[in-house]
Amino acid sequence: MAEHEEILERMRASIVAADETEAMAAAEAALAAGIEPLTALEEGFAGAIRAQGEAFSNLDIFLPELVLSAKAMQAGVSVLEPALKAKGIDAARSGVVVIGTVEGDLHDIGKNIVVAMLRSAGYEVHDLGTDVPIPNFISVAEQTKADIIGLSALLSTTMLRQKDLIELLNLKKIREDFFVIVGGAPVTEAWMNEIGADGYGLDAHMAIEVLDSRTK
Amino acid sequence: MLSFLEIAKRSETGPMAIADELGMKIAGIVTGLAKKYDIAYDPEVRVNTDDDLADRVWQAGRDLILEIGLYSINSRRQILFSEREVDEGLAAVRPEFTAGEGLDTALVYRRDVEDNRPPVIFGGPFNADVHQDMFVRLNEAFAGEPLIDLLLLPGYLKELDGIMIRPNSGLSTRAAMFYGRWAREAISRAGRPGLPIVGHAVMALNEVSSANEEWGLRSCDPRAFALISELQVDDVTLTRLAHYQAIGAPIYTSATPLIGGYGGGPVGTAIIGVAGHIGSVMLGSHVMHLGPQHIKYKQQTNAMSLWLGSVVKQAAARNSKMINTTSVTTSGRPGSMQYIYEFSALVLSVVPSGSNLTGPRPAEPLGWNNVSPLMCRLFAEVGHAATKIDRKEANRIADTLHEKYKDKIELKDAPKGLPFEKMYDVNTLQPNDEHWALYEKGKSELKELGVPLE
Ligand code: B12
Repeated sequence: MAEHEEILERMRASIVAADETEAMAAAEAALAAGIEPLTALEEGFAGAIRAQGEAFSNLDIFLPELVLSAKAMQAGVSVLEPALKAKGIDAARSGVVVIGTVEGDLHDIGKNIVVAMLRSAGYEVHDLGTDVPIPNFISVAEQTKADIIGLSALLSTTMLRQKDLIELLNLKKIREDFFVIVGGAPVTEAWMNEIGADGYGLDAHMAIEVLDSRTK
Repeated sequence: MLSFLEIAKRSETGPMAIADELGMKIAGIVTGLAKKYDIAYDPEVRVNTDDDLADRVWQAGRDLILEIGLYSINSRRQILFSEREVDEGLAAVRPEFTAGEGLDTALVYRRDVEDNRPPVIFGGPFNADVHQDMFVRLNEAFAGEPLIDLLLLPGYLKELDGIMIRPNSGLSTRAAMFYGRWAREAISRAGRPGLPIVGHAVMALNEVSSANEEWGLRSCDPRAFALISELQVDDVTLTRLAHYQAIGAPIYTSATPLIGGYGGGPVGTAIIGVAGHIGSVMLGSHVMHLGPQHIKYKQQTNAMSLWLGSVVKQAAARNSKMINTTSVTTSGRPGSMQYIYEFSALVLSVVPSGSNLTGPRPAEPLGWNNVSPLMCRLFAEVGHAATKIDRKEANRIADTLHEKYKDKIELKDAPKGLPFEKMYDVNTLQPNDEHWALYEKGKSELKELGVPLE
């Protein structure tokens, strides 16, 4: 329907314009017009934020724009949430992630980008910040019933902490409870295999691809 | 500058803030400042020639540091400065100092825009991964390069005796001591025992153990630390500051504002760059290093970085007495022509803009020892030659060079280059024939393009 398409377009535009109020208003309009909440989420917000993510990868837009778009998306989704829930759809449908930069490492820009993109892709994200001791990842993951742990490391020396997490999970006999994804400039597929992680992301795009297609 | 006590006090009592929110606040402020001061990026310009633009960027950077100060990560508080303090700090900054000792003493000085004095050369491994087996010899070869005025960051020791070094571990203390020891041994083997070493053992707090007048880093050796982007310090930074001030070592502070990060594009990032330099002055630093880093390319010779480097250095050189330098990190690696094109382009952009020189280094070194003393020689020679041309001519040559590598700037497409051992005879410490040939070829191409090399 033309009216529906118009509202979906309004939703998309609100994400590109990073306008929280407009995103919420458009989401309300969508529900009022009888658009399926999942359609509104996928075709309204999600497509637009993916496009913003792509634009950021090419640096057609910059980090602040991406963060603001992701915020607008979160605001809009909060309006859709009750309707989604009523249909038995979890707004954090994609998964719950505990993420941070490992102990000894302060690099956070790459991790912040991954966080913004994950949030906009429908993940509930608990960002622990930088210089995070490995046991903290596990305790927060347990508290929040997370199914994914993401570790960022930018230094070849701090990469080793990613291996520590796997060993610690093994030791606690809870390795199977979590999908462990690793990333950061020095992290490669070979390293992921060597330490026995479940996935790795060269960039935020790949992180989402890997997580969306996970079977664990 | 403020006293250490005052910095420490503000870091404990300043207004509390959340790091990510502060980042977004900076994003908002710089957007406003860019409008207020009418600052725009011109994608065709490699070397800025507009003095007024540089002055406006300075004003904007000054406004930013006055509004936001520096953020102390661990205490989650802002270290704020008043206008009077900033003006006094800038008025008191040293325009020159000496480092090192005896015959090898280096005079480190500020330069003006289009200054015809040679840039001070901070050259060395620049903390690329250096293997312990080659640490002394590689640094000996760098120290043997006469154009290098200060030996720069002798190398990142990732492992010691086959064990990976965990930051803050006992092993990292031991590694930091060897870092100091081996760097001293290298300069003495090169016959320049008084050569200043810009030290930064990358060992967090443990690096203070590299200090020892007899066998390690001396108080006449400048010490480096980095501001954490954007405009942040942490307990490690402040610990280093306390230590360096106590031993009286000159302080070298880098600011690496990220193009594409919270500053947005090159304009906002340039404003943050200036603010970072003024913030460093307030901490008591003696050398202000800019790393014009790009978030996508992860290096510093792309078009935006060239523009940013020239603008920030002109802003600082025209409006303050601070000593400026610029870091040069490239996509192409040593052993390739692209390395030469890239470092020459950034050298031409910043030397006529009032900067000294730090580098060069590949942004993503592959494996150990991916650096070359001979390439540092050429880098220094281009730096000296760049004092003989004005910004307009530098812009022309930098643009021609940029054309040559701009399509191979993504790290995955850039030439892989060679480790030191493949470019040098490690016994004689002389470059091999192939490496000499590359140097000669690079030099003659640069001359043809108009770089007035001897
Ligand atoms: C900016 C920077 C800094 C800033 C960090 C500011 C900040 N707030 O983050 C500062 C100045 C503080 C800094 C400090 C240091 N740095 Co630094 N830094 C960099 C630099 C230039 C850029 C990093 C960056 O932000 N890139 C942009 C982002 C977008 O890319 P990214 O981080 O790779 O993230 C992407 C992917 O990796 C992935 N990803 C990231 N995390 C995750 C997590 C998951 C789960 C997934 C799936 C994916 C993923 O997705 C991201 C988005 O696409 C790099 C150079 C480089 N080539 O990377 C050096 C670099 C990483 N630093 C280095 C070093 C040595 C240091 C220092 C030790 C000393 C120094 N000053 O040089 C200190 C260490 C401080 C500490 N304890 O951590 C070295 C590391 C060398 C090595 N062999 O390990 C590098 C490579 C520079 C070099 N060429 O030598 N640094």
